[in-house]
Amino acid sequence: MFTDPTFLFIQTLNGLQLAMLLFLLSVGLSVIFGLMNFINLAHGTLYMLGAYFGLWVYVNTGSFWVALALAPIGVMVVGMVFYVTLIKRLRTAPPLKQVLVTFGLIFVGLDAVRMSWGNLSKSIPTPDVFSQSVTIFGEIYPSYRLFIIGLGVAVFVILYFVLERTRIGSVIRAGVDDRDMVSCLGINVDLAFFGVFCIGCYLAGLSGAVAGAVFPVEPGMDMSILILTLIVVVVGGLGSLKGAVVGSLMIGMAETFGQVFLPQFASVTIYALMVVVLLVRPGGLFPTRAA
Amino acid sequence: MKNYFTLERVTALVIVVSCLGFVDFAGYYGQELIAEIAILAIFAMSLDLLVGYTGLVSLGHAAFLGIGAYATGILTVHMGWNVASSMAAGVIMAGLIAAIIGAFVVRLGGIFFIMITLALSQMFYAYFLKNREFGGDDGMPGIPRLDLEMFGLDASDPAIFAVFTVIVAALVFVLLDLIMNSPFGRYLLAIHQNENRMRSLGAPIGLYKLAIFIVAGMVAGLAGSMQAQHMGFVSPDAMFWTVSGIVLIMVIVGGTGTLVGAVVGAAVVRMMSHELSSLTEYWMMYMGLFFIGIVLFAGDGIYGTLAKYWHRARDPKAPQDLAK
Repeated sequence: MFTDPTFLFIQTLNGLQLAMLLFLLSVGLSVIFGLMNFINLAHGTLYMLGAYFGLWVYVNTGSFWVALALAPIGVMVVGMVFYVTLIKRLRTAPPLKQVLVTFGLIFVGLDAVRMSWGNLSKSIPTPDVFSQSVTIFGEIYPSYRLFIIGLGVAVFVILYFVLERTRIGSVIRAGVDDRDMVSCLGINVDLAFFGVFCIGCYLAGLSGAVAGAVFPVEPGMDMSILILTLIVVVVGGLGSLKGAVVGSLMIGMAETFGQVFLPQFASVTIYALMVVVLLVRPGGLFPTRAA
Repeated sequence: MKNYFTLERVTALVIVVSCLGFVDFAGYYGQELIAEIAILAIFAMSLDLLVGYTGLVSLGHAAFLGIGAYATGILTVHMGWNVASSMAAGVIMAGLIAAIIGAFVVRLGGIFFIMITLALSQMFYAYFLKNREFGGDDGMPGIPRLDLEMFGLDASDPAIFAVFTVIVAALVFVLLDLIMNSPFGRYLLAIHQNENRMRSLGAPIGLYKLAIFIVAGMVAGLAGSMQAQHMGFVSPDAMFWTVSGIVLIMVIVGGTGTLVGAVVGAAVVRMMSHELSSLTEYWMMYMGLFFIGIVLFAGDGIYGTLAKYWHRARDPKAPQDLAK
């Protein structure tokens, strides 16, 4: 069955779907790091919050679409609160402090979720529009997964347009390249960072809400996705949209096909991929600055 | 004149003596807790060599703990080795893997070092999680303890084992104290303080960093081997990345750059989680808040801050960085 083109195609779609979720997560993490040298280990926690907020809105309104619209905004507000209270004062701190404070936040987030929603695994039902499966090459494939792929592509197109074609985009790219210089030009880099941070949180929340209809919504879902996201960022190179896309695709595919072809070594394949990439290019594939 | 009775050594001696005294009348749980803290202290001291002395912040140190633990488990349970040689093999194995990993991570600095050590340690976690032969996610039970028959002692007695772990921790302290006060240790401190100056003086920075990375890995491997013997069990959870995070917190809580600081941190964090978890189901949240508070507001850690006041009280005119 491994050479069956239909099977391979379906697995490719699965890989794409995972890659798109990883892209939504890693692009925020990567650009936040590129702009401010800030590493946020609690990024996975934002993803988990997105899923739980989505679940909560869904339970109260009964509408998946309202949940999908509101949950990321809720996560963004949480992100803003953390930015003002904690992250702002950590921006110039050494990486050790940033890592440890955001590591502490992971525990706080985990127990906050357990306190509010309990330990049991839950899920958000897929909306009626996607209740039908589509048939691709005679194989049945859930249409919701195609929606995730489409959403990821749409977000990529929007981000690409904003970053490459607008004035805000050029401020952000310039800030990644040389923050001090941009600030000398009279541009408020702090404000730009705050904006990027909010968007990063929004996208983390969005991917959580979207993933809540595919993967179980449970405490600990943050941990498993965080490591994958960090690997994407390391492989793709810090601070670049292109790196986040290529890194997500590589890791998404390696994880999916690794599970299928080498179940014994399932997760090891992605680490092996990371090691190979870093041996060839220590700064990742598309770094915005030298490592 | 060289002062052999530094505050750090005296504090270490007091801790060891009071632990040994406490073992006698601590109950079963107290003895188990002492053994656990002694093992964590070894682990934390090994990480402090990297974080506090050399400035290499590793978020994957649990990999070496796990390698030491699995080496002891596999060699005793599957291969029938005796415990003493499996301990030695665990230490050597951790050192070898530290040499391989270190060879290409010590060049990196800051955030790259953090993320790559994190990812590589997760690789070992992922491997043992899926490996059915070594128990997969269920772990490996039935690991024996070191045979102390030749001293006429029974290591399965919790009091004896607690004393044994405290003595090993004390020996590790003495060994690392010797290393860090040797010219080699001074080199590392100098690299931490001003890497560029050391490089321009012609010091082989990478080689020194690699050497201490290997030493730290071996000591962590020893801690892992002891932990496997203490629990009689090892599972992939021993090398999950949060274990690396928590031991890093221990080093910070106690105070970086002093071996005793790591010991104090290990004791405080372990006892705190022990007490909190008996009070509330959501103890991790309070631990998280405590970590955030310590990192934000107490930069020198508990021992570091106390040592600073002690030195200041003894000699108000002296420069204030004597804590280290």
